[in-house]
Amino acid sequence: MQLSFRATQRLYRALTAAVLVFAGIFALFPLVWTGLTSLKQNSDVITAEMQYLPHNPTLENYFELWSRKSFVTLFGNSVVITVLTVSLCLLVGTSAAYAFSRYRFTGRNAALVGFLLIRMFPMVLMLIPLFIIMRNLGLLNTRIGLALAYTTFLLPIATWMLKGFFDAIPPDLEDAARIDGATRAGAIVRVVLPLAAPGVAATAVLTAIAAWNEFLFALMFTTNEASQTWPVGLHLLVGEEFNLPWGLLSAGGIISILPIIVFFVLAQKSLVRGLMQGAVKG
Amino acid sequence: MAVAPADRRSGLSLLRSHWPAWLDLFGWVGRISETRYWAWLMLLPGFLLISVVIFYPVISGIWLSLHEYNLLRPARGQPFVGLQQFIDLLDDEKFWLSLRNTAYFGVFNVVNPFLLGLVIALALKRAVRGAGLVRTLILMPWFMPSVVAGHMWALLLDSRLGVINDILVKLGLLESYWPWFARTETAMPAILLVGLWRGFPFFALLLLAGLQSISQEMYEAAAVDGANALSRFRHITVPLLLPVIVVAITLRTIAVVNSPDLMIILTGGGPGLATHVLSFYAFQTAYATFDFGYAAALSVVMLGILIFFTLIYLRVAGVDRD
Repeated sequence: MQLSFRATQRLYRALTAAVLVFAGIFALFPLVWTGLTSLKQNSDVITAEMQYLPHNPTLENYFELWSRKSFVTLFGNSVVITVLTVSLCLLVGTSAAYAFSRYRFTGRNAALVGFLLIRMFPMVLMLIPLFIIMRNLGLLNTRIGLALAYTTFLLPIATWMLKGFFDAIPPDLEDAARIDGATRAGAIVRVVLPLAAPGVAATAVLTAIAAWNEFLFALMFTTNEASQTWPVGLHLLVGEEFNLPWGLLSAGGIISILPIIVFFVLAQKSLVRGLMQGAVKG
Repeated sequence: MAVAPADRRSGLSLLRSHWPAWLDLFGWVGRISETRYWAWLMLLPGFLLISVVIFYPVISGIWLSLHEYNLLRPARGQPFVGLQQFIDLLDDEKFWLSLRNTAYFGVFNVVNPFLLGLVIALALKRAVRGAGLVRTLILMPWFMPSVVAGHMWALLLDSRLGVINDILVKLGLLESYWPWFARTETAMPAILLVGLWRGFPFFALLLLAGLQSISQEMYEAAAVDGANALSRFRHITVPLLLPVIVVAITLRTIAVVNSPDLMIILTGGGPGLATHVLSFYAFQTAYATFDFGYAAALSVVMLGILIFFTLIYLRVAGVDRD
């Protein structure tokens, strides 16, 4: 079949539009439906005739969630653990990433590849020994214990991302600062870090999202409600009730993705760039 | 990081003017930074942390796979059993089923999102109006907690209140509501649908970056030579995108083989053993029965599988060459 140039162009444009519309709907439909469900009373969720839009929209579910004592604990735990993980990964990761970016030393390549290989280890393989170590050190059911466990998979990624951002900053700038009398540490603090700030922010955001979302370690390393994280609490909420409180669950889902959306809006551009760096070299 | 560039500059220069005094307090850091120990000092915290949280656990995990160790039977201690647990694996029907399910799950949970992601990346590359918005929106499924994603789909596919069931019945495609996750024949496909939803943004984004790095001139030159769109795709896009494709696929395969999240949240490996994959088996053995020795042996088998994909990744990504 031969199509004229203009007809082909029009066909392509229509196809592109169709694909993008489909992608948008497919990505967002579950979210929109969850949002709608969170605004329904339970009696409107369980009906003979499906209600597409809530007939009596209400924020009841959100209020009820908020009033549950466990909610505040779970949410608080997640926030503290996320902050601890991000701080740990940024402090240690920045330092290592700078050394990898600026120095050439024996074993550098091996170490870099090693850092990358770490994320190929089965999580379950780490899970068991880490459980034993944490039990022996009394770190089970503690926030710092979980934050430490999260660094197993987040520190290597953070380091690689940060190294990519440091590589993009010309060493000449540091050299200039050092000729002006700054020490190397001074040049790092005054020249490199400010220039790398968007990259550091993106790394922080990515680390924060991953720590906020983590489920497997949190499930294994916590045994009581006081120390559980938000995703684990949400999961166990399903386990213990026969008639699922869908309105409540949906409200919980929506609340837990709000911080992610905020993070995302804050650092979208450098986040995408950083992700590329972590995944494909260069 | 949220402030406009102009604000950031003035904020930073404000901070900078305070830094010299601060640095004098830590002048010794500056002096050490001029010595040849500095690089090692900067690497030290990272290596210490990695040794404690990664190397030690991995080695001790492999060690455990050679020992019998059940947390619930402390009296039996940790006797060395050599390869016995691996030999037990060979006779374990659950293991073979899990292996088969892992292959099934691994292949389709990578290929489906890859194909959809490729189509979307090609569409996004055409930079029509609204493409930027779509590019941002489709990232949401990827950045969602697996628990929330699981619940969303459990609700959508619920056997009594699922909206997808309702739509399918209204369209006449389904006679009555279908319990997707509770039936052997549809449990894995339903999980694969959730996996497709979670996985396609990763591929779309990565492949888009790859597409954008292919120079436009090549396409123009080929068009001048009379190549049509299909042959341009076959002879320019595919070969130049191939490294990115292989890297994306191996990375995703590793992630998918590694993670039992969806099975824990949605099916518990069931119904029967329909969604019982290796990562779930290992997790369940450790989490529910506390048979750490056997769970470690299962993880070591997974390690072998993952190393295989890692080697492919290293070859293609060329990270070992600098």
